[in-house]
Amino acid sequence: MILQKTIELLEKGEVPQRYLRNIGTIGIEGQLCLLNAKVAVVGAGGLGGNIIESLTRQGVGYLRIIDGDNFAAHNLNRQLLATEGNIGVNKALAAVRRIAEINSDVSGEAIPQMLDEENADLLLSGMDVVVDALDTISSRLLVSKITKKRGIPLVHGAIAGFTGQVTTLLPGDIGLEKIYKVSVGSDKGIEISLGNPAATPALAAAIQSQEVVKILTGVGELLHKRLLYFDTELNIFEILTIE
Amino acid sequence: MFIEVRLYATLRRYAPASLAGVFSVEVPMDCTVAELLNMISIDPTEVHIIMINGVNSKSTSALHEGDRLGLFPPVGGG
Repeated sequence: MILQKTIELLEKGEVPQRYLRNIGTIGIEGQLCLLNAKVAVVGAGGLGGNIIESLTRQGVGYLRIIDGDNFAAHNLNRQLLATEGNIGVNKALAAVRRIAEINSDVSGEAIPQMLDEENADLLLSGMDVVVDALDTISSRLLVSKITKKRGIPLVHGAIAGFTGQVTTLLPGDIGLEKIYKVSVGSDKGIEISLGNPAATPALAAAIQSQEVVKILTGVGELLHKRLLYFDTELNIFEILTIE
Repeated sequence: MFIEVRLYATLRRYAPASLAGVFSVEVPMDCTVAELLNMISIDPTEVHIIMINGVNSKSTSALHEGDRLGLFPPVGGG
């Protein structure tokens, strides 16, 4: 079904079968908000693959996928979009193919480039929400800088081992420098020693996806000025206040 | 005065006697977070988020009797 026809049906109060199970939580108005929204997902790896999957099925009308990296064998343990058949394929291009297979209402645009100082402003402008699914501290801080400048909500997520964290930044907030120190020569976190097992990105990504849905529909309470930190090794789930 | 220290993830190795990385430490009055880190020999570059009673704080923040100090290493993977 093409997007415009879906929107017309929903505006008449008719719910296409594929969205029936969404309506109880977000309503027809919420579904329309999602279908009319533009979201950029920066990074299509462990977090990004799961976020793209959720937002596509949930029915976000436009997804811009930004990732200059290609799939490698060491991605297979956790990255939803990685398959034995697409090793060497660009992650953003693979994501857009997956989107097209799942939901023809969703326009997926692949940007097979790494976000950098040169292109970040252009690639993130015009988005309703940006999702940080990156894997370096410097690139996360760059996204945070641009979304802050542009007044775009940012949903941050990061993982390492059994641990993960999610927070939502809204226009006017201080950026991710609140939770990352900038230090020369160190652009990674404890994932360097702990690795990234299969289920951790799925867990963080699910929470990030829900944050996107809540921002776009106005339903519920955001992780705004709060950081959800989990460590499933010890069954720790804590919500910390970020001031 | 006594401070409850909670170490998260890889920082738990600094408290090998506690599986959960939670322990109590006695510090002088007006001790700062940085001074406490020094006392318990934690490398401050490993600590990216500092929480006092669940609210983010700085290494220069002063501690008070009974505070819960949470120390988090950087989580950066995707």
